Amino acid sequence: MFKNLLKKKLVSALALTTVATLSLGVVAPSSQAASTTIRIYVAADTNILDLWEKTLIPAFSKEYPDYDVKVTFDRNGANDTQTLAKITAAVAKKRDPGMDLIDGGITTTLGSAGLLFPLYTGLVPNLKMVPKVLVTNGKGGIPYRASTVLMAYNSKNVKTPPKTLADVLTWIKANPGKFTYNAPSGGGSGYSFVQTVLDSQLSASEILKLQTGADKETQVKWAKGWDILRGLNKFTYGQNGTYPTNNAGTLDLLAKGLVDLAPVWSDQIASAIKAGTMPKDVKYYGISGPSLTGGPAFLGIPATGKNRSAARYLVNWVLSPTAQNLIVAGNMNGIPVIPASKLDPVIGATVSDINIAAIRAGYISANAADLRTAWAAEVPGK
Amino acid sequence: MSKSKEVTVGDSLAVKKTARLSPLGFFMALPPVLVILFFIGGPILLAFSFTLGFTTGPNEIVALIGQEIYTKTNWWGTLEAYKSVFSDSRFPGNLKATLEITFVATTLVIVLALGMAIYQRIIGGRLATILVALSLVPLFVPVVISAFAIRTFYDGTGFFKTIFYHFGLTFPTLTMTNNAVTIGVIWTSLPFAILMISSGLQSVPDALIETAQDAGAGFMRIIATVMIPLAFVPIVIATTFTAIGIMGSFTIPYFLGANQPTMLGVEISNFFGPYNRPQHSIVMAFVIFVAASGIGFFYIWANVRSAKQSGRI
Amino acid sequence: MSHSANKLNIQTNSWLVRIFLSAFIGFMGLFILGPLFWLAIRAFVTEWTFPNLLPDGLTMRWWRVIADDGSLLEAIKNSLIISPIVVLISAAICLPAAYAFSRYEFLGRKTFLIGIFAANAFPKIGLFASIATLFYTLNLMGTILGIIIIQVLGTVIFMTWIPAAAFSAVPRNLEDAARDAGASKLRVFWDITLRLAMPGILVALVMSFLAAFDEAQGTYLVGVPTIYTMPTKMYALVLNYPVQISAVFSLLLAIPSVILISLARKQIIGGQLAEGFQIK
Repeated sequence: MFKNLLKKKLVSALALTTVATLSLGVVAPSSQAASTTIRIYVAADTNILDLWEKTLIPAFSKEYPDYDVKVTFDRNGANDTQTLAKITAAVAKKRDPGMDLIDGGITTTLGSAGLLFPLYTGLVPNLKMVPKVLVTNGKGGIPYRASTVLMAYNSKNVKTPPKTLADVLTWIKANPGKFTYNAPSGGGSGYSFVQTVLDSQLSASEILKLQTGADKETQVKWAKGWDILRGLNKFTYGQNGTYPTNNAGTLDLLAKGLVDLAPVWSDQIASAIKAGTMPKDVKYYGISGPSLTGGPAFLGIPATGKNRSAARYLVNWVLSPTAQNLIVAGNMNGIPVIPASKLDPVIGATVSDINIAAIRAGYISANAADLRTAWAAEVPGK
Repeated sequence: MSKSKEVTVGDSLAVKKTARLSPLGFFMALPPVLVILFFIGGPILLAFSFTLGFTTGPNEIVALIGQEIYTKTNWWGTLEAYKSVFSDSRFPGNLKATLEITFVATTLVIVLALGMAIYQRIIGGRLATILVALSLVPLFVPVVISAFAIRTFYDGTGFFKTIFYHFGLTFPTLTMTNNAVTIGVIWTSLPFAILMISSGLQSVPDALIETAQDAGAGFMRIIATVMIPLAFVPIVIATTFTAIGIMGSFTIPYFLGANQPTMLGVEISNFFGPYNRPQHSIVMAFVIFVAASGIGFFYIWANVRSAKQSGRI
Repeated sequence: MSHSANKLNIQTNSWLVRIFLSAFIGFMGLFILGPLFWLAIRAFVTEWTFPNLLPDGLTMRWWRVIADDGSLLEAIKNSLIISPIVVLISAAICLPAAYAFSRYEFLGRKTFLIGIFAANAFPKIGLFASIATLFYTLNLMGTILGIIIIQVLGTVIFMTWIPAAAFSAVPRNLEDAARDAGASKLRVFWDITLRLAMPGILVALVMSFLAAFDEAQGTYLVGVPTIYTMPTKMYALVLNYPVQISAVFSLLLAIPSVILISLARKQIIGGQLAEGFQIK
């Protein structure tokens, strides 16, 4: 009975979404002043804040002196609950949510609910350079950079880090208390490890199903993966099945030398080592069979943002080769979303072997939310 | 005993109310009630209708964003969301953790507060003043900071870890366990309980204690038969407020607790955000609300009892 | 019997008891102050490697980071402006009500008191969506007025219950005597009732200030990204900024509270608070 209800709900939700986006685009008039302030809301780690404040915005302002860019920062999206409630209510009430552009994990949730300003290549011409599959997965969110999850290790204590997922699992059991990953609900690096373990027990077609649509039937097959993850409980840092709350928690344990191996975001670990908050002994690498997931970060323009047209200029600029060069070359160590051939030849060469469309992708947001809640039910404390 | 009568008579002198109903009083009392009704009561009703499956009108967009939303099947709604929460395999564990932490921490807080307050009342002196002043410190530390400080103090490189290390011993890492949550909520709830109980004990007249003493009652006997019965209401109040505060806490368990089982306050936030199940989240908020109301009932009972005693009803 | 130091003549001078007491005070000191000091030290050190007993080095540079960041100072300024306004507004709304609760019998008196209490027990996180909708409807989102309202909500319980008890504690015969001596109603209220109830009201003001000053979640919902206060900024920072910067911020955040406690210590310890939380 519930399934039928859900289906009905989804159909009506889709219909509503379309109506909502269409009507909203017409009803709320855009106000264009001579000098416009674009308000960005960044709900991510500090390295992303630095990317905007120290790299992208100064360059943008040089090219577009008429626009002022103001950043609001929410570390690790700690206040996502309030932000989501706020934007939802603002769009429902056709009010300005106080932000014109969002860079954070909630973008895809907003996109799926149809609360983002729809974008076409006509409005953002540079979107043409971005692989189509990324744009489709964004559901209205705009992919603008990518990163992957890598394995970080303390080279002082680990001489030969395990290269495949199977080796990692063996290593964990051979070195009790020296590995951890954070709760999937709190951060993408732990999420990626969990999804990778689950995926290792699924067929390629099953994985594809979870990456493209809400799929309760396929989720049942996670069972084997949960068994493996539960089996790790006594060998991870918490030892009684407790895990750090978020990405920062994992990095903290790594930096304090309490763990020797952990999955981390490529950009976060690179920036942390550069900033000196991570000891020089910590190194990182990619594993295989399967590799850890990664993928694009999405920007979103709330449908009722006051300066949403101006935000579009910024988005288009961020997708330009100039900006993508900065994302790759600066402290960020990001992965571009446009082909390496469009970048500066020197910079492009450093990423030419990374095919963004080939990075193992995460599940779509509905399945990802299900994974987070299922992990909490299946793994910790068991 | 005739002693307790003396006290209640003195008490009722201060509070004598005009018997007739006063419209002026009604209108004077109205503003804060209206503010609460409008800004909290309204949203609570709206939230309640959402848990019953009323997913249109003001609830529409939240319903649109969330997953596993149950829509009403009868004119009065549906209980599916409640069923779904109660049948979740995590729920019993989380509820148990919430009630356990609430019970253990409240008991410890009250025992500690009672001990310190009695000590200050009967013996007094410089040590007692230091003790009470010390216990009031957390009242003035914002809870975010408390949580952060306690987390650092008990984590893998914390104070005890460091000290024990130099003696070749290993102190357990408490951060990320529910023991740390218990420590944290005791830390933040202690001052209020001390304030309530110690000022309750202040109102026990010296003469009464001295009389009991002259009659040959020992230290423990005075406490059991004089002090605690007379300070009964403040003790109950301290207990209820402490328990309600602990039960709904979010920041402390979020910073200090285990992933699972966790307190419902954290789970409300998890279900709203990362798990994207706002309806479940609000159902849990009502579970806390109901449990808190149960404690609140205890509180009102104690007040009525004291009002009866002092002849006000 | 007059023992000014010892309240009563109950002697517990056995040295065993004294040792136990000293140990207990030591334990409480460590339990309560330990975490605060452990954090505060970090505001002045460069790094602290486990398991060394001493930090690696001393520095003031974390304080400079705070001083250089204009947004942090703005948050501090906002907090110091908004919280007192909240307390004043709350007092204006609630004090007459507190007087009414104490002096008049009226329809729904008990319901009102308990309603105020119950509203306080509901976990606010379940209400964010509906509150956001309401605030957008009223155009309160992102405004100072909106923040003031959301913070006033948390102060109502203190501002009605504690002063109500304080008014109840003022002896009626004292007021009657003054009236008999020819003083006007207003004069009696001003010179006698209000003056005698003042310590209780003061406690309510302090508790309300702390409640408003510490309110973070609702303020975040309403204020950010337009307006930040100290705790909302703190939430953004505390999750693992270099731990030292959070320590500096913690110290700053504690200052107003410490000043307040020293100002109102006597009233708070003097028993006004306990009086406040009884339904009479």
